[in-house]
Parts: sequence; C-alpha cells; structure tokens
Amino acid sequence: MKGRFYIQGTAAISPQESFSGTFTPQLARLEDRNLLRVKEPDYRDFIAPNSLRRMSRVLKMGLTTALKCLQNSNVAVPDAIITGTGKGSLHDTERFLHDIRQYKETALNPTPFIQSTYNSVNGLIALQTRCTQYNNTFVHRGFSFEHALLDSMMQLNEGAAKHVLAGAFEEISDEHFYIKSRIGFWKEQLTQPADMLTSGTPGTISGEGSAFFVLSTAPSDVHIAGLKMLYKPTQEQVSTALGNFLREHQLQPEDIGLLITGRNGDVNFDFYYQELIAQYFPQTPELPFKQLCGEYDTASAFALWLAVERMRAGGPEHVLIYNQFFGEQHSFVLLGR
Amino acid sequence: MRRGPITRKRLTYNIMEALKLKLKQQIIEALNLQDTKPEDIDDNAPLFGEGLGLDSIDSLELMVLLERNYQIKVEDPREGRKILQSVQTMAEFIQSKQPA
Repeated sequence: MKGRFYIQGTAAISPQESFSGTFTPQLARLEDRNLLRVKEPDYRDFIAPNSLRRMSRVLKMGLTTALKCLQNSNVAVPDAIITGTGKGSLHDTERFLHDIRQYKETALNPTPFIQSTYNSVNGLIALQTRCTQYNNTFVHRGFSFEHALLDSMMQLNEGAAKHVLAGAFEEISDEHFYIKSRIGFWKEQLTQPADMLTSGTPGTISGEGSAFFVLSTAPSDVHIAGLKMLYKPTQEQVSTALGNFLREHQLQPEDIGLLITGRNGDVNFDFYYQELIAQYFPQTPELPFKQLCGEYDTASAFALWLAVERMRAGGPEHVLIYNQFFGEQHSFVLLGR
Repeated sequence: MRRGPITRKRLTYNIMEALKLKLKQQIIEALNLQDTKPEDIDDNAPLFGEGLGLDSIDSLELMVLLERNYQIKVEDPREGRKILQSVQTMAEFIQSKQPA
C-alpha cells in the first residue's frame, strides 16, 4: 500500500529498559534457560488497584503500553484500536485448562476464561479510554502485528480514522516454553544473547513483549512508507520481492541507511538474512534486534519501536526492517523521515 | 492464666472464629486482594459495594470458592445474594451445611 502513515508516539515493554524513556540496548545475561522476560514497570501508575488484581501479566503489559503510547502521542481517545498477537493470554488459557482438568469441568473460575480470549487487551483499552470505535485483534502467528499494521494503514487511507492505536503483545509461559522446546524452537544449550548469532546451532532464544504506536496521516518526524508480507517463500522469492518492493518506493539498496533484521541465530532459517544481505546490502549497517528481545510471534513490533527510536535519535533517512518467523511468515517494513 | 473448662459454647465460638479467619485468607487469595490482610476485613462489613468493594465477577469467584473448598454448590442466585453479604454470613452458611 502506498501513502504515508506517520508515527505520532510509541511505547514498549520489553526485556530492555524500553518503557522508562531512557533506552540503551543491553544484552541480558541468562542464568538457566534460553528465555528473555520483560522488565515490568509499576502498573499501578496506569491501572486502578481493583482492576489490576484480576489481570494476568500480558493484560497488564498490553494495557499499560497502550495507555503510555496514547499519553506519549497526546491522544486521549483513538479512532480505532487494532492489535496483533500470536498467542494472546497464554497464562489465563493454561490456568483455565488446568482447572477444567483438576476440577473435572466443575467449579470453574470465570476470570481466566473471560481473559483468555485474544481480544481481551483490546477490550480493556477500549473500556479504559472509553473508545467505542473500530476495534480489532489479528491472530496470525508471525504475521499478527503486520496485519494489525496493514489494517491500521487501510483505516487511515480510507479516512475512517484520524488516529489509530496499533500494537502487539505477547507473553511466554513456563509451559509454553517447555512445549516449544520439545519441538526445537529454542536452543538446547544455554546460549547467551551475545553469542546467539554465532552459535551455529538450531533454535533460538525465547522472548516476549508489547509495543504500541499511534499512527496518523498528520505529518510527524517518522512515517511508515511500505509494508510487504510473504508466506513461506523460497529464498529467490524473498530476493525478487525485496527488489520489487524497493522499486515501488523509488529506492535503491544504497538508500537504506540501516537494515534491522530478525536474525536469531537459528541455523535452519538465518540463511534468508545472509543471502539477502549478500545480494542487496553488503555495505549497509545491520542491526539484529532479537538479541535484545528474544523470538516471539510479534517481535517485529519491537523492531518497529527500535527503528523509530533510532530514527528519532538522528538515524538515517530510510530504515528497512526484514523479519521472518521460523521461515514461514516474512515481512518488510519500510520507514522514512 | 488459668482458664475455665472448655464449654460447648466456647468450642463452637472458637470453631466459628477459625472458620472466619480461614475464609478471609481464602477470599484474599482467590480474589488476589493485594495489600489486604485478614485483620483488615471486618466480619460484618459488606463484601460488595462498600467494604471490600467487590463486583459481580467476584461474586462468581466466591461461589467457586465455596464449591472448591467446602463442596457447597449455591444454585439459587437469590440465595447467593444473602450468603455473600459478609464474611459472617458466609461462615454461618458454611457451618449450617456441615454435618452435625
């Protein structure tokens, strides 16, 4: 889609110090598992204690990030709330399923059931901001955030909204980490984020986080210029698609001042990045972001947050984000100033 | 200090006090009432609206609490409204359902 979709404000809760506004990338030191957990802020600054007590971690994370983003954007009530999540509220889902088993389908608590739905974060944001406008949550594994972005851009393009709150949220639970480790998603040996890209082994480090953006057609310092998604492409198809994508935006590879990649040290899938860099960006600075936040379905939202941070700190004119999720969902996001 | 013999009345009183304390602890845990201690909850204070300020979802959680911990199922919502007035009414209801 063509057009300019300006980013008015951002907020992120991640394994980095991203929420406080004093972000300096730091590689964490893992103790026992290949898992990066978010650094949680004091939620009481944003959510009333009586509401807070009932919320699971991902709900607190999602709602707080959204409210902070609106605050940073000077927007009280958005015209649309559009999010993406790969797994939604995992903790509540697991709690509910455990209870079904333990209490043999009797005496079930309503709260984890209510909150286990994917759109519960959106519902909470809407209630808190009294926003009765368009509200949508996309659940498409590694494409979840990209679809939320695409929908946001369409809403703005059609003039249906002036300010869209777009975002993504994801949590990792102990059980889900274990399930994914059984199918080889995470590295078998304890691997530090500093070593993950050079480990030469299958799997990666798990992560989680939430990031929100207020998008608008009113000019600001950073805009989203383009978005492209590819499902299960071959390496050749990725290369061709990138060439076409750059041409559509009248750009040469040399115009990209920073390439942010989702390279995660998984030898099964990192070749996509290596090939693309060799072909298009041999001289372009690359910033692999998953050392900072780990791998999860909507990690590309953290990449977008990081890109905006870099551009606002005097970064280049054009930034390209290329991310793929275990070889299946690939996306390009182009940012301009 | 010397105490008199344990009478039936005092025994019933002690059982009731222990039940209310346990119930308060269970309510705090089930509803995740952070920063609330059992001694902060008055036996006769209303659980909903004023007092603890609980809401309709909490009332469902309390029904589940009774079912899980005391094997008491409250079928009639009107009955539930009376039972869940306070810790005192809940404890009295639980005690009335205990086998003699």
